Amino acid sequence: MIATRKVSRRDFLKIAGASAGGLAAMAALGSGFRTLSAHEAQQQQEAGSRVVYTACVMCPAECGLEVHVENGVVSRIYGNIHVPYNSGTVCAKGISGLQLVYSVNRIKYPMIRVGERGEGRFKRVTWEEALDYIATKLIEIKQKYGPESVIMDCGDVTDRDPYYYLFRAFGTPHTVEHGSICDTPRRHGPKLMFGGKRIEPDIMRPVLVRQPDGSLKNDYSYRTRLIIYVGWNPFTATRINYESRGTVEARLAGARIIVIDPAFSNTATKADRWIPIRPGTDADLFAAMLRYILENHRDDDPFRRYIDWSFKEYSQGWEEFEAAFRSWWDKKDPLNGLPYFSLEWAADRTGIDAATIAELAHTFGITKPAALVWGMNGIGHHYNGYVASILGTALNVITGNMEVPGGAIDTELVKSSKGGKTSGGDFLKREVTRIVNGREVKGKIEELHMDGYGDWPAAWDDVVGDYPRRFIEGVTLRYGPFRGHHYPIKAYFIRTGNPVITGSNTQKWIEALTAKDESGNYKVELVVYIDTVFLETGLYADVILPEASSLERMSLSDIYPVHPVLYLRDFVIRPLYESKTPYEICWALARKLYEKGDPDIQPKDFWEKYPTEEDFWNEALKVAPGRPNTGEPLPYPNLPKGYKLLGTPDSLEAGRVQIDDEKKEIRGEPLTVQWLREHHGVAIWPMSWKRFHGGGVLQTDSKKVEFVWDYTVEKDGKIERKGRYSKYNKLIEEAGETPPGIARLGWQKYPATFYWFETRWNPYTNPDYAKYREEYPFQVISGRVHHAMSGTQMVDWLGRLPTEDLWAPLNDERIVEEVIIGENGPTPTGRRVRIPRGTWSIGVIQMNRADGERLGLKTGDLVELETPQGFKTRGKVYLVETIRPGVLRVPLGGGGRFSPGLGKTYVFHDITPNHNALVDPENLSPIMGQPAYGDVIVKIRKIG
Amino acid sequence: MAQETQTRIRALATRRAFLTRFASGIFASLIVPAVASGVLDQVEAAPQEGAGPAPMPELPEGMNGQHPIERMLQDLQRALQKPVDQRRWAMVIDLRKCVGCYACTVACIAENKLPPGIAYRPVITETRGTYPNVSRRFIPRPCMQCENPPCVPVCPVRATWKRPDGIVVINYDQCIGCRYCITACPYAARSFDSGYFYSDFEGGLPQPYESLPSPEYGENRVRRKDTSPVGNVRKCHFCLHRIERGQLPACVLSCMGRATYFGDLNDPQSLVSELASRPNAFRLKEELGTEPKVFYLV
Repeated sequence: MIATRKVSRRDFLKIAGASAGGLAAMAALGSGFRTLSAHEAQQQQEAGSRVVYTACVMCPAECGLEVHVENGVVSRIYGNIHVPYNSGTVCAKGISGLQLVYSVNRIKYPMIRVGERGEGRFKRVTWEEALDYIATKLIEIKQKYGPESVIMDCGDVTDRDPYYYLFRAFGTPHTVEHGSICDTPRRHGPKLMFGGKRIEPDIMRPVLVRQPDGSLKNDYSYRTRLIIYVGWNPFTATRINYESRGTVEARLAGARIIVIDPAFSNTATKADRWIPIRPGTDADLFAAMLRYILENHRDDDPFRRYIDWSFKEYSQGWEEFEAAFRSWWDKKDPLNGLPYFSLEWAADRTGIDAATIAELAHTFGITKPAALVWGMNGIGHHYNGYVASILGTALNVITGNMEVPGGAIDTELVKSSKGGKTSGGDFLKREVTRIVNGREVKGKIEELHMDGYGDWPAAWDDVVGDYPRRFIEGVTLRYGPFRGHHYPIKAYFIRTGNPVITGSNTQKWIEALTAKDESGNYKVELVVYIDTVFLETGLYADVILPEASSLERMSLSDIYPVHPVLYLRDFVIRPLYESKTPYEICWALARKLYEKGDPDIQPKDFWEKYPTEEDFWNEALKVAPGRPNTGEPLPYPNLPKGYKLLGTPDSLEAGRVQIDDEKKEIRGEPLTVQWLREHHGVAIWPMSWKRFHGGGVLQTDSKKVEFVWDYTVEKDGKIERKGRYSKYNKLIEEAGETPPGIARLGWQKYPATFYWFETRWNPYTNPDYAKYREEYPFQVISGRVHHAMSGTQMVDWLGRLPTEDLWAPLNDERIVEEVIIGENGPTPTGRRVRIPRGTWSIGVIQMNRADGERLGLKTGDLVELETPQGFKTRGKVYLVETIRPGVLRVPLGGGGRFSPGLGKTYVFHDITPNHNALVDPENLSPIMGQPAYGDVIVKIRKIG
Repeated sequence: MAQETQTRIRALATRRAFLTRFASGIFASLIVPAVASGVLDQVEAAPQEGAGPAPMPELPEGMNGQHPIERMLQDLQRALQKPVDQRRWAMVIDLRKCVGCYACTVACIAENKLPPGIAYRPVITETRGTYPNVSRRFIPRPCMQCENPPCVPVCPVRATWKRPDGIVVINYDQCIGCRYCITACPYAARSFDSGYFYSDFEGGLPQPYESLPSPEYGENRVRRKDTSPVGNVRKCHFCLHRIERGQLPACVLSCMGRATYFGDLNDPQSLVSELASRPNAFRLKEELGTEPKVFYLV
């Protein structure tokens, strides 16, 4: 941002001059800037040194970047200071993006498998050959089994749109991404009650705010007084970028920070208090906090006025929820004999003493504004995380903290919209016919969804919860028009994801991808791996396609800001080797399918409609920001309140808009890729608070916060069933069949309001598992490896950096032979290097020192962990004071990495723990089917 | 002029000559107004870099304060208006805000094209206590740019010295790699470049970004196995090449916790002057009398 290089400089100066007076001046100038043609831009980019504003994809935080390129080589990466999400900061992972771009472990060419799946033997083919192979197979599968036999899994959420568009057009409802398998239990509460997803503290600064004098200014003030992070470690996950600087700034501005986590995380290092909780008992803690607040609230005592009753103005059903919650208070827990949700009950289960829990509840109740925030490695990873996220959401609402300045914000509800037609959602509405039990049935494509109409009717957001099992057993639909329809899974496309290591039990995945039928053919006939790097799942692919790295492609980032901010991912350099962008891959495959006569792929939907990549993304921008003009201060006081905003910030600011009273829409000038390029790659619309009032941004049926999820309303003399669960319950009632997930809980259907059930594989809370306490004395949880995620560990800069006590230089000395991803897949080059002992960070097993000493272990000892089901993994123990006794923590995706594409990390796969080797593949959380990664118990044995 | 300077620098051999050369900040600033001085004259001529200070980024005006980066850039611009010997560069690191993310470490490696094994700004982790009463502190450790640098007098060939603006620099052509200075530095801020590359498999080719010239000291050297800075001692120089262009050091810009501040200690208006005078500011090994210009806030 400070260095503006020659190429962009000319334009930059024009804009700089024009916008000296801020946004208003910019608006007055309109869109009169000279625009560069794509060709000109490309030419300019090739010459000399330049700066490109883009969005990172080293992790799904997708921070705004300022990338420097010298003579066509990416030389360094800084944060884009114009993007308030990261405000110029960038993490080590983001900076290391350039090492990934130039990694020898990149996939360079399309390849087709020559050996058996898992052997990792491939041959280089042309794009033409690879696409021909895929298209032929896809058409064959479609004719034989139907398009629903194909899954398109965009493991990572970023830049998924072209893939979704193509595969939905092809006719499959199975388009998924990371968000659908990652942490659904933690997002359940906000989804159910707000229609949102992700509650974060209001600490993104700066925020652009309308001033009383009508101007727009950046607000840098921190108003938060308390943040409680439960199982959430933003300093290490770095995913919500602003929570790093925001948390420490808010604390210096007077906020208290409390971290509740079994491990002393980096976030805990900056907390006023660290409370090491027993894993899997977050719901217990929240329940006790809620009970304490309800029992001790006094309207007339300022020191006990916990509840801010104004929440009733924008909510409904609290009375039912409260009654259902209170109905448990007289019941006794079978394990400890104490009344449910009492302080003593929670103390026994969470391992936190009763006084601390009371203090926590009181502090949260009395301190305003505050935010209770929970994370994926905690609540997101437990069987009963749903209960916790519902209770946590309720706690934020009744204390009056939602949507107040300095309080809690559901970022999903307030970030900019993007995608629109490019998501291909329209294709899912097409009507198709299937023969079910000899009968011809008509229905929509979306009603063929393997989970939504199969075992997991509450699997919203295209969740695919029951993955590897379906590969082996196939799908039988239980609900909707196609009830009884059976189909196999025959093609699996995995793009920028690595489920073999990160998506539930590793062995189960390998079994599913290598299972054969009686005639010796693979059950899943086609596995296509599309990525920049070569991870374990790639070893099981039939076809490998090289996707352009994040610096070589285009799309958009919206992520988790507290108000609408949208920024561009732009071409920094041309795709290296033979890699192609997602758009290029999908359009080329579409063309191939069309040529081979696939009737669902039509030129009018593809190259005729969006002839260039920029056209495609311009379409995706049409729906931005797509949020109502609502809240205080009103973002655009001169425009009608409550109407949906569309268009560029400057056109809305200047009032160059069309107002549609019928649709309640305000349409400014459409946002485009070109507009973004002219504005440092980012569009920012104003912040406001109190956006829940009067409907605002809430996306529930009632446009209120809903504490009841299956209810009826009378409309025009007709009784209508409403609430998020009602839709699923209707399906259940029609079919007369209970989904297996909730049948296991003894339920008939989804409860209308508050519910409670225990997590599994927890001997301290669930009576069914109490018997394992003595023999399996350790609970295993996972943590995020600082910067090196599943797909970035080949990056040398990151491989060396330690993380908390999860990733440490405990390596032994190894002579490593270099393996590159060449024309035949992983290829040893014969070049060797010595990695001296203690110089390379590897995944380790974090263990409390006292536990280790009791077992006669010392740091560096190799141990084996074994679950009651006999699942095993091994790794080196790291004895520290920074974890609760009885708990072991291992990095998720940080060990047992057996793909040679992992660079030097690969050679240590025999001494590093794979968390997913231990996860019970049958332990799918009951509502949406996500694997309960955090419910694991083990015994430990020293082996070296 | 820049060409000429470059030739001359390489030819210089004695400390006296160096001092003459580098004490002439005033002189230099007369010829090349405001920006370039000392060894960094060449920045002006570097083909990829823009001339003069980079334009200020257009940051929106703050309502309740100011973007710290904007403030520091203004401080920097003011300092650069002054002759070089009137500047006193300093860094303040707020340990209460360091989140232990290593962004600074890696940003520095990327900016200065550092090889494996060398980090100018490592982050030291210090853990204390026993469960459950534990604490952990992250301490980024750049070069302290001491007022009385113990590393300077021990150099047998006078390859390292303190500039008039306080930054301790190394002339790679002069350095014989004896490593006396490494031993002398009480902060372990100096490291030896043993010639490793990220492509350190035998016979591997350097990565493209490793083959780009390093902007260090404005010299734009391409690092090769057999030439300087391989075989030399290397250290943090507050990104001198960036400062002189009106840019902040890499670590300051990237910092995830916004914990690092940079500016001119001689300017009472500057953010670092304000922060360094706080009662909670301290310096490492104060007792040695080295007078570091890196301050920590606790």
